[in-house]
Amino acid sequence: MSRKVLYVDYSKCIGCETCEYVCKFVYDVPRIQMTRTIDGVMVPIYCHHCEEPKCMRACKRGAIVRDQDGAVIHQYLLCRGCETRNCIIACPYGAMLETDKGVMITKCDLCAPRRQIGLPPACAEMCPCGAIQYVDEEELAALKTEGAELAEARILKHIRNPQGS
Amino acid sequence: MNFNFLCKEPAPPNGRSVGIVGAGPSGLAAAGYLSCLGYQVTVYDKLPKPGGLMRFGIPGHRIPKDRLEQGIRRMERQFGVIFQSHTKICCSAPLFEEEGDHFCREVLGLGEIVKRHDASIICTGAWKSRKLGIPGEDLPGVYSGLEFLFPIRAAHYCVPGAQPADVTGKVVAVIGAGHSAVDVAHSALRLGAATVHHLYRRTAKEAPCGSYEIERLKALGVIWHERVTPVRILGDTQVTGVELVDAKTQESITVPADLVITAIGEIATPPFARELGIENVRKGEVRWLHMTDIENVFVAGDALTGPSKIGKAVYSGLKAARSLANWLDLKAQNRLDAYPYDDLVANDEGRRRS
Ligand SMILES: Cc1cc2nc3c(=O)[nH]c(=O)nc-3n(C[C@H](O)[C@H](O)[C@H](O)COP(=O)(O)OP(=O)(O)OC[C@H]3O[C@@H](n4cnc5c(N)ncnc54)[C@H](O)[C@@H]3O)c2cc1C
Repeated sequence: MSRKVLYVDYSKCIGCETCEYVCKFVYDVPRIQMTRTIDGVMVPIYCHHCEEPKCMRACKRGAIVRDQDGAVIHQYLLCRGCETRNCIIACPYGAMLETDKGVMITKCDLCAPRRQIGLPPACAEMCPCGAIQYVDEEELAALKTEGAELAEARILKHIRNPQGS
Repeated sequence: MNFNFLCKEPAPPNGRSVGIVGAGPSGLAAAGYLSCLGYQVTVYDKLPKPGGLMRFGIPGHRIPKDRLEQGIRRMERQFGVIFQSHTKICCSAPLFEEEGDHFCREVLGLGEIVKRHDASIICTGAWKSRKLGIPGEDLPGVYSGLEFLFPIRAAHYCVPGAQPADVTGKVVAVIGAGHSAVDVAHSALRLGAATVHHLYRRTAKEAPCGSYEIERLKALGVIWHERVTPVRILGDTQVTGVELVDAKTQESITVPADLVITAIGEIATPPFARELGIENVRKGEVRWLHMTDIENVFVAGDALTGPSKIGKAVYSGLKAARSLANWLDLKAQNRLDAYPYDDLVANDEGRRRS
């Protein structure tokens, strides 16, 4: 089965926040969220729906699972919003998000309710720059251009070591 | 951009018509939302093509126009949205005063729009440039960010009057450090300016555009001056330079320039701001979310919030469209009075956060 993923080409992103605001309109609490790096670049932080999701392994309740399209989804009914926050700590992309509602955790599910009726994720649809792609994992390699990889490395350095030099 | 992202195909026509004034991201998002629900939507814009600042402000290398065009074509062909370009909705400012006015072929009064449609949304953006308020600002050779950038993009639409400023071989001074200032500096370089001076009153670290962008400009050859405050634009009949005060030493410095571009932001100039009571909508003193003093006229995007970004404008357009649709539904059922409006305002996430 081919796995669907989201990919943001940070070299095409202009930081306009459309992804976050469209997600917010659809789900109230956005699951793709902007961050500003120390050198002032605005970019969205998002779930990569990893091949071997660290969040899934960290969650001892089995609340994080893969659905039929390969999306890594968070099941509210099994999540107890536990204090360990292990899933948040485990994610290398900062994509497990704290909220002030319910179990106080949310994440991107690649727009599960939309996929059920044949619609792709809203952020990818509305990105003005075509920076957000909803693709099969096999297509990823072609999207990872040198420019995209460089830009991503810069952003990840910020996410993983925000105080870094 | 799929402005119809909320649905696969349009709902059957619901017999209602909505007019949207302004085809920037907020107007287009509202048009997408309402056309999904089966409304007959007409989008008016004074410019020759829809897109607003996404097409006529932000440089093309940052925002590809094919995605925008696809989204517009989808609305037009599949969702029956009518785009009435070259049409200015008459406003408080006289014609030919704002950037882009020379494109209009038709002028309609707001009253006309209100009568034509069951409801309307004003999405006219923020196009009036802020001034520095220093001597010499009216000299030939001084431009605002939009005055400089708009003709560069508009010239592609073959309109007389939209002549980009000639910067070839000249010395250009850019004032400000927001994203439009960066866009101006890039464009000036690309159009062949000999030297570009970038002047900012604070430090690169504090610049709204971020230090990364400034480093990139410097790498391209832009000369960066920080902590300098412009006090006068020099020249008798034409700009010759800018006089600045160094914030650290209080010394006066002169930077020579053939063109000065002040990219220090825009202000919203919605048509009929007073008649519509836009100030009250801003403060949230409204009967219905996004509704103006005229009850079937709504407002969204930068026209409401002042200059923001594409994402915020899109969100504002979507919310105004949803509010408009709710209002028309309840009105049709005579249930407006029964609706607990205060709860509606209190529950609105956007307002609670801001
Ligand atoms: C130089 C520059 C660079 C920018 N760069 C970025 C960026 O990189 N990222 C980002 O997110 N944001 C950026 N912005 C901001 C962004 O473009 C705006 O926030 C956004 O476009 C606002 O959308 P809007 O729909 O409210 O209005 P606009 O996009 O301004 O659209 C308003 C439309 O209304 C029309 N109109 C106005 N008055 C009338 C009238 N009386 N009758 C008929 N039509 C009328 C105008 O012609 C225009 O098409 C930039 C802005 C500028 C100026």
